[in-house]
Amino acid sequence: MPLTLRFVFLTAAVLACALLSLAIGPRSDVSLANVVQLLLVDDGSLARSAVVDLRLPRTLVAGLIGINLALAGLALQAVTRNPLASESVLGINQGAALGVAIGLVVPALVVVNPGVMAILGAILAGMVTLGIAGGLGGRLDSMRLVLAGVTVGAFSFALVRFTFTLEDNLARTMLTWTAADISAARLDQLLPLVGWALCGLVASMAMAHSFNILALGDGASHGLGVDPRRRRFAGAMLAAILTGASVAAAGPVMFVGLVMPHLCRLWFGPDHRVLVPAVALGGAGLVLAADVISKLVRFPYETPLGIICALIGAPYFLYATLRARSMA
Amino acid sequence: MNGLASHPHHTRRRAVLLIGLLAGLVVAAALWGLSVGAVAIPVHVIINTLFNLDGEQQSYIIMRSRLPRMVLALLAGGALALSGAIIQAVIRNPLASPNIIGINAGAALFALGMVLFFPAIPQVWMPLAACVGGLCAAGFVIAVAHYRQVSAIHLALIGVAVGFLFQAGVDYLLITSNDSESSAPLIWLTGSLWGRSWGHVAISWIPLLGLSALALVLSYRLDLIALGEGTATGLGLNVPRQRLLLLLVATLLASVSVAVVGVMGFIGLMAPHIARRLVGGSHRLMLPVAALVGMLLVVLADGIGRAIAPPIEVSAGILAALIGAPFFVYIMLTTEAESGS
Repeated sequence: MPLTLRFVFLTAAVLACALLSLAIGPRSDVSLANVVQLLLVDDGSLARSAVVDLRLPRTLVAGLIGINLALAGLALQAVTRNPLASESVLGINQGAALGVAIGLVVPALVVVNPGVMAILGAILAGMVTLGIAGGLGGRLDSMRLVLAGVTVGAFSFALVRFTFTLEDNLARTMLTWTAADISAARLDQLLPLVGWALCGLVASMAMAHSFNILALGDGASHGLGVDPRRRRFAGAMLAAILTGASVAAAGPVMFVGLVMPHLCRLWFGPDHRVLVPAVALGGAGLVLAADVISKLVRFPYETPLGIICALIGAPYFLYATLRARSMA
Repeated sequence: MNGLASHPHHTRRRAVLLIGLLAGLVVAAALWGLSVGAVAIPVHVIINTLFNLDGEQQSYIIMRSRLPRMVLALLAGGALALSGAIIQAVIRNPLASPNIIGINAGAALFALGMVLFFPAIPQVWMPLAACVGGLCAAGFVIAVAHYRQVSAIHLALIGVAVGFLFQAGVDYLLITSNDSESSAPLIWLTGSLWGRSWGHVAISWIPLLGLSALALVLSYRLDLIALGEGTATGLGLNVPRQRLLLLLVATLLASVSVAVVGVMGFIGLMAPHIARRLVGGSHRLMLPVAALVGMLLVVLADGIGRAIAPPIEVSAGILAALIGAPFFVYIMLTTEAESGS
């Protein structure tokens, strides 16, 4: 299948998921048949306001965090040359969550706003994980990297869980947030997320070439005049920032960054210049699909997005670790 | 270590001394644990209460609230440590522990599922449900280890993935059970001894003590297995069957503890390593020492968690993770170095 056609298919799938995500819900006056009309024409009805004011922000948030997380995962897999790497496996997601949790429990510590706290937490967790695994020098041991990441994640999440043992209200708030419940998303939360997604897309496109070179190994990149350390650092920073931005907006959504780059590599090949747009689209599609599922699993009740992503992603992670026997 | 082995008398006296010392430390830590908390109780009052002596007593707080949780801390700490020591020995993996191979998450999922879906079933059966879950998780990981020759670090990774899978299930159950307004299951899952009563002791002490005793009785077989499969078979041991039996005991020990004290990771990892440092690799000595170290760790974690900022309690499981995660990284780095890359 030609490349363009594959992109058309993927885009169509993403749009279909977005429409489903908009159309599905407990209201009987919104359906797949009239959702586009409700979206475009302001007829002043309640259904229109439900779609535009309540469902549209949520759908957009789902799509945007999908883009951010999938791009972060792609960058991490390129930087570490490890197919199991992703923000949730390397502890970056949990580090960001810790940043936000600290901000919630001790408001006095908040630097600027929760988003910055999340990004700081993500960067710190990423640095610790990479540090344990041997730094950016290119001697990263793949299994050790993943175990280090899982441990950093466990450490951060133990601290996040501490908030569960505090007062009941705070505990419930934190639990819903760590489950990445996006049902309360509103339009004004969207602007920073759009900004980060655009920056992420542009930066990833700009780095796609160096990702390709990194894949050849350190010797080759030196030969081509590319300093692998600096490129790795830039890639890891990009991943941490994108993860932090998503976690601040929606809570820690797991495994999107692991699954999507894998699937896209199967379908679009190893060239990062093609992979970046494909992974961004695919990430949006995956999270939108998860959002649709989250509305359907216990209809008319909703299940938080993060739980659905974990239920999809955890078996995939197990499958990936079982397949990774040759890595060690 | 060879130097020590050549002086058996010296070693034995040292071991007896060490075990005595550790037991004394456990008792001291337990007394301290009984005294700290929202209401500080002096030690002489505790002793008066425990032995029903004349003088001031604090029967209500001690007998109803602190003593049962102390008993559970001792039981669970010992059980987790024994479980970790057996697992590390049998699958020959210094990174292994009940938590790492997914037992804790599996047990938690099934125990939680029983409480949420079948509230009519009496709590007595909770350890049983936890055991089923623990066996599912451990069974999978052990089967992978058995049928595919994977490296120590890869096996740990697969165990982590299995743990993630069960954890996703636990999160799903917790979130969808919104009808219960209390956060009690949440606190239980962080590995807390908060709100434990004699009821929890009643449902767990028989299996925990029985399995611990069985583990200690079987410890010499671990030494035989450690000699190598050929030698052990030559000495009349059915190695595969013994391995399975030992792993079964280890899994059940960890699962029953999860049922009563929640997910307390890293105890089963740390205690055996500390014990090995203290007395070397002979399991007949190492297992009881590990059990004592495990008790000490849990009692201290529980006590510190209550002493930091009363009346707020920091779960013992959370403290254990905060100490245990760096410990795991340390073990991982040294394991890598030894296996020689």
